[in-house]
Amino acid sequence: MSDAIAQLIFLIIKAVLIPLVIVLIVAFAIYFERKFAGFFQSRVGPTYLGPWGCLQSFGDILKLLSKEDVTPDQADKPVFRLAPYIAFLPAFLVMAVLPFGPVGGEPNLFGYRFDYVIANFDAGLMLFLALGALGVYGVLLAGWSSHNNYSLLGGLRAGAQMISYELAMGFSVVGVMLLAGSMNLVDIVNAQAGNFWNWYFIPQIVGGLVFFVASIAELNRTPFDLPEGEQELVAGYLTEYSGMRWGMFLFAEYVNMVVISAITATLYLGGWRAPLEVLSFIPGPIWLFLKICVLIFLYMWIRWTIFRYRYNQLMAIGWKVLVPLSLANLAVTAVVISLVS
Amino acid sequence: MSGEQATKRPTLEELKERKAQTRRRLERTGEILTLSMGPQHPSTHGVYRAELDLDGEVIVAARPEIGNLHRGLEKLCEHRTYHQIIPLTDRLDYISGFAMNHAFCEAAEKLMGVEVPPRGRYIRTIAHELSRIANHILWLGVHVMDLGTQTFFCICFRDREYVLDLFEMLCGARLTHSFARIGGVAKDLPDGFEHRCRKVIDFIPKRVAEYERIIKHNRIYYKRTKGVGIFTAEDCYAWRVTGPPLRAAGVARDLRKDEPYAAYDEVEFEVAVEYNADVYDRFLVRMKEIRESCKIIRQCLDNLPDGPFLAPDAGHALPLKKNVLRDPAAMIQDFYQVFYGPQVPKGEVYRAIEVPKGELGVYIRSEGGPKPARVHFATPSFYHAQAVPALVEGEMLADMVAIFASVDIVLGDCDR
Amino acid sequence: MTGGSPGRQDIGPVRQSVDGSTLSTSLEAAAARLRRRFGGRLLEEAVFRGELTYVVAPSDWLRVLAYCRSAPALSFDRLDCLMGDHLPERAERPFEVVAHLTSHTHGHRLRVKTALAEGESLPTVTGLWPSAGFDERETWEMYGIAFEGHPDLRRLLTTEDFEGYPLRKDFPLQGTVGGRIRTDLRGKI
Repeated sequence: MSDAIAQLIFLIIKAVLIPLVIVLIVAFAIYFERKFAGFFQSRVGPTYLGPWGCLQSFGDILKLLSKEDVTPDQADKPVFRLAPYIAFLPAFLVMAVLPFGPVGGEPNLFGYRFDYVIANFDAGLMLFLALGALGVYGVLLAGWSSHNNYSLLGGLRAGAQMISYELAMGFSVVGVMLLAGSMNLVDIVNAQAGNFWNWYFIPQIVGGLVFFVASIAELNRTPFDLPEGEQELVAGYLTEYSGMRWGMFLFAEYVNMVVISAITATLYLGGWRAPLEVLSFIPGPIWLFLKICVLIFLYMWIRWTIFRYRYNQLMAIGWKVLVPLSLANLAVTAVVISLVS
Repeated sequence: MSGEQATKRPTLEELKERKAQTRRRLERTGEILTLSMGPQHPSTHGVYRAELDLDGEVIVAARPEIGNLHRGLEKLCEHRTYHQIIPLTDRLDYISGFAMNHAFCEAAEKLMGVEVPPRGRYIRTIAHELSRIANHILWLGVHVMDLGTQTFFCICFRDREYVLDLFEMLCGARLTHSFARIGGVAKDLPDGFEHRCRKVIDFIPKRVAEYERIIKHNRIYYKRTKGVGIFTAEDCYAWRVTGPPLRAAGVARDLRKDEPYAAYDEVEFEVAVEYNADVYDRFLVRMKEIRESCKIIRQCLDNLPDGPFLAPDAGHALPLKKNVLRDPAAMIQDFYQVFYGPQVPKGEVYRAIEVPKGELGVYIRSEGGPKPARVHFATPSFYHAQAVPALVEGEMLADMVAIFASVDIVLGDCDR
Repeated sequence: MTGGSPGRQDIGPVRQSVDGSTLSTSLEAAAARLRRRFGGRLLEEAVFRGELTYVVAPSDWLRVLAYCRSAPALSFDRLDCLMGDHLPERAERPFEVVAHLTSHTHGHRLRVKTALAEGESLPTVTGLWPSAGFDERETWEMYGIAFEGHPDLRRLLTTEDFEGYPLRKDFPLQGTVGGRIRTDLRGKI
């Protein structure tokens, strides 16, 4: 069998497995969110379905599928139906360029080289930023097409918020790019070779924190969840979505969360690299998975603890605090690199 | 932070200036979006509807609509004897049910000229303050949930369970107590109640300290509630806003001190007053009120007098249940009160009580029969609901939720 | 005009005191002031359980209440509630509007009533106390007493298409008079 056919087979395997794994992680992330919510609130979360309630998400999926599909009479139907997919597909696409193990080197599987990445894309970081911007469309279009003042307000708020915080994310990510010298995610992970003190969260501490905070805003999670500000706007852009359509939005939110955690881990926490050289016999994907889990737990912890900001305060934070900080980070990084080299 | 505030009390002019600054936002005219914060909404406390005109995020006008929970309470009262009205009053402000019972009984007793024995007055005070604690803890949970955390809501409800367990021990019901009777209360304090009550009132102030630690100095809470929803004392008088919002505006009016009833003139407590008249201060007032309630309950338990808990007044009050089947006089009294009703002179009274949400005024007019000719409840939530446009115009949509929660409206109380 | 002695009974109505209860000093001073100012226009004065009640004619309603609010000895700065009442046994003027006033400065209370015939209306007091808005709407809705000058006199607690005035004594407690499920409004509200 020639190398090309082997690579094709590997590609198909990866293209099937990775979305599947992501979907499973999302299903359990939803379960864990509810479990953690319960523990933070002095109660237990789901306990009924499966041992410790771990099959709750699957039960929910079945329930949502069996619900009536209610579409508002005067909604813009094609856009209304398309919006949830626009919300989650870009996130899925980012996973194509994310490395979850070593890339390049000796043949390691049956004499052929199995690269732990679907597409070794030279502008991987750019793709992530671009697709993140596309995800805003899903929210905006959902809000607008529902023909409902609440949804419109929610969609507009979401659009403005996500765009503002994408700026901060973009600027902080450029710092990483400067350090690694490449936009290819594979190269960025390879540049963090060594132990955990080689990871980029140390030199880029400011950028990393800015990125983390901005990512909470990208994900529309508390304290930045005004677009779905439940207590003010009923459910914001989600108001008119019910049944499986709502399930798709929920799915989109958690896929975004998993993917952004993966990206954060790749950029700042060394991706699939082990924290200590001696532990690198444990395969890369396991380390990436562990880092994703830690980050997801952080997102959930913050969500169930902190209040929500008012909208103008939120925009003030994005523009007046995060963007200047990330620009300062960029400037300092650039100066230090040019001095050192 | 609170130390600084205590020394710099804002004057009325300063408060008015801050309010005027909010109002200046109304001068922008863009396109108006009408949002119906409709009867089904997660953060209107019940089926309250407000039509908001929004210019961007600023509320330009608000039109409240109430009446979705109207159950014709006043009409029902005209067809029931005074004893039968007491369970109806539970459903007014169902969160602090005993306070409503108490208010009605105070008014009816004033009309009939019944004197409640000391033990009855003390037990009423204890139960009323327990319902005040329950009400304020629930208020805190709901208010903070409206601002974004659901965790805190669950914590507050868990703490409220302790108080509701006390009520269950006292009268068998957690929410709709129907515990007060004309002339006293329905039952004596059960065995073990005092011990448990003391444990709870030792525990609650520690929880309040924890709430204050989490919320009072929380930067986000501070930014969202400081200077928001300023309602000066004059506004409060004009719109008949009473209770914590009035006390947060610097007016030390508390009917427990000004027109004492039950055992309030025999216990020592402070009236919680703050001076900035915003949502933050209403939070501070309510937390202080919880602590003062614990103090009152402790004093009542310490000084609880012996004696009857229900007035031995054959013409107006029900007899003790244990005597009904043994004592012929009690049996006759029971028959008379249950099948006919109390003997009430002709006349009218108005009695206002400081219930947890504000001042509840009960008006009873009697033509001399066992059933009242007219009963009217001037409930605090009714007037607070009316004051919402004055409070909210010029504020932002997100503030509407915070302000609305801070005046503490319950639709059962509002619509009767 | 100095505050006269509280016991001047020669101006105004004879005080009816059924139970012999007394009033506080500030309330007695307020009563004296009212009697001096309005004299015979106060149709009745009653004291019961320590509460003071005045009955006035509908034409004096606004004047008396405005004076209650503005006079320094009275300074009733809060309208505790304004409500209606129906006494069918009084054939010629069966309706009543009762206003309860409170003073923060003096801490006393007052009740002012007026008797109305069927269809008679009163001027609104929302100019004095904005809190009367909802009160007057409810009185209109429950008794059919109209208030001239009210900015928004429409039904408050019952549905918009409710027929009848529920709190009148001749309105039944149970039944299906007025108010029904409006299937014709489906899709329009």
